[in-house]
Amino acid sequence: MATEFDPVTGSSRSHSEPTTTGALGRRWNLTRVWRGFAGTAGFLGVWWLVGREVPSYLLPTPDEVIGALWTEVMSGQLFIHLGESLLHYVPGVTIGVVAGGLLGVGMGWSQFIDDVLTPVVRVLRPIPPLAWIVFAIIWLGLGHTGAAFIVFIGAFWITFYNAYEGVENASRDLMEVAATLGIDSDRRLLRRVVIPDALPAILTGVRTSIGQCWMMVIAAELFGAPGVGYEIITSANNLAMARSIAYMLTISAVFLLSDWAVRRVRVHLLDWQP
Amino acid sequence: MRDDTGAEISVSGVSKRYDGESGTTIALRDVSLTISPGEFVTVLGPSGCGKTTLLRLVSGLESPTSGDITVAGDPVEGPDPSRGTVFQAYHLFPWLSVQENIGFGLVELGMPDAERRDRVQEMLNLVGLSEFATAYPKELSGGMKQRVGLARALAVDPDILLLDEPFGSVDMQTRRRLQRELLDIWRDTNKTVLFVTHDIEEAVALSDRIVVLSGTPGSVRDTTVVEQSRPRDRSEQWFVDRVEGLFHRIEQNGL
Repeated sequence: MATEFDPVTGSSRSHSEPTTTGALGRRWNLTRVWRGFAGTAGFLGVWWLVGREVPSYLLPTPDEVIGALWTEVMSGQLFIHLGESLLHYVPGVTIGVVAGGLLGVGMGWSQFIDDVLTPVVRVLRPIPPLAWIVFAIIWLGLGHTGAAFIVFIGAFWITFYNAYEGVENASRDLMEVAATLGIDSDRRLLRRVVIPDALPAILTGVRTSIGQCWMMVIAAELFGAPGVGYEIITSANNLAMARSIAYMLTISAVFLLSDWAVRRVRVHLLDWQP
Repeated sequence: MRDDTGAEISVSGVSKRYDGESGTTIALRDVSLTISPGEFVTVLGPSGCGKTTLLRLVSGLESPTSGDITVAGDPVEGPDPSRGTVFQAYHLFPWLSVQENIGFGLVELGMPDAERRDRVQEMLNLVGLSEFATAYPKELSGGMKQRVGLARALAVDPDILLLDEPFGSVDMQTRRRLQRELLDIWRDTNKTVLFVTHDIEEAVALSDRIVVLSGTPGSVRDTTVVEQSRPRDRSEQWFVDRVEGLFHRIEQNGL
């Protein structure tokens, strides 16, 4: 939500007048809805006007895109390709989040592991996941496994970094309290204090991974792995731009859906936060 | 559970030195102090006199550079639930509800669920927070948070209770009420109490004995016994005189 400074009251304020809480628990108000609607209509209008003037292999009009989307949905093709993407997205993200989280907690907690691995991590972490595509191809081939590998690397570093920070910044004071209440092993301390304390940071890592990894999926598929990204590039190669855009919108929809789901889980797990 | 009498605390010839990058700081020099079982002793002193350090040494969160500390005759080697500690900043676990915070130490003791629930309920009643059993710390006022902190330390039935300026962050009204409650709990449980504060009135209102710690490094300047029965009326002449006397004693000793 945008925030403006109000010179009259001298305070920051949210972008609107009286609000009510809707059925979805979100702030709704007519002004915002109306402005959003106007903005969307304007965008579609400009798109349509430009699309009408240029050949559709340069920019198809919105109605052509909707037509293409409809065809893909009705033929079931869209769901097949989405399923292909999920086949490397889901395992890649899952394994990446788990492995990155474990390494982050391990390095954040243990000075020994931190000392041993820091140089390697410093060098490897800045490498963009997609740069590993050559190894993904020669080691695993460009099927689901290769694409999953790229996704894995993305999720791994994102979650690693957040988990590491979360554990490093875990409260010393709370660890002391735990010690005065009878916790005398690292294992118990990690389980009952450090990981719960780091959970908000870890979940931020998970949420970022889930979003960012859609980019990895599409990028990997542009190199030939089957899925939504592959459909985007092959459609474009055939100058079926409306179909390309239909699949681009599919990614957007899946991203929004998964991000919403993660946010719900996060709110549920962190309802203790001030 | 242990029996219901407190343990003796003995601090003899304790010094604490911190070696930091900016040089060496001596926080405590040659501090000796014995607290009888069930006694309520306050360590009184200005900020930076090392009183919190002394409490942390007794709790086992830090170890002395020299000297010995024993509780019930056993040397203190690291923190232990038999020495309950209450902190000024509460330090409640924000992700646990009130009842889970209170039960934290009981889980570590391996107490069966049913027994733990009973004990937690007993503690909730003791500090008057039964209605807030399932609330998170963020929903509580400062005074309520410190009640939880106290209940959490008491739940494991420690031999001694160490309180580090526990009422330093709450308003005057709440502070007085919490002081009364602490005295009630102390009377009912017979714990040995080591209470740290810079508030002279608080020390005179609560303690059997007041130990004045001052200077840098901190050392014991004075020990004074308060015989008057409780509850003590702060408006009585002896109370006012006592507070004034202590105030001047601390001033004379300087920092």
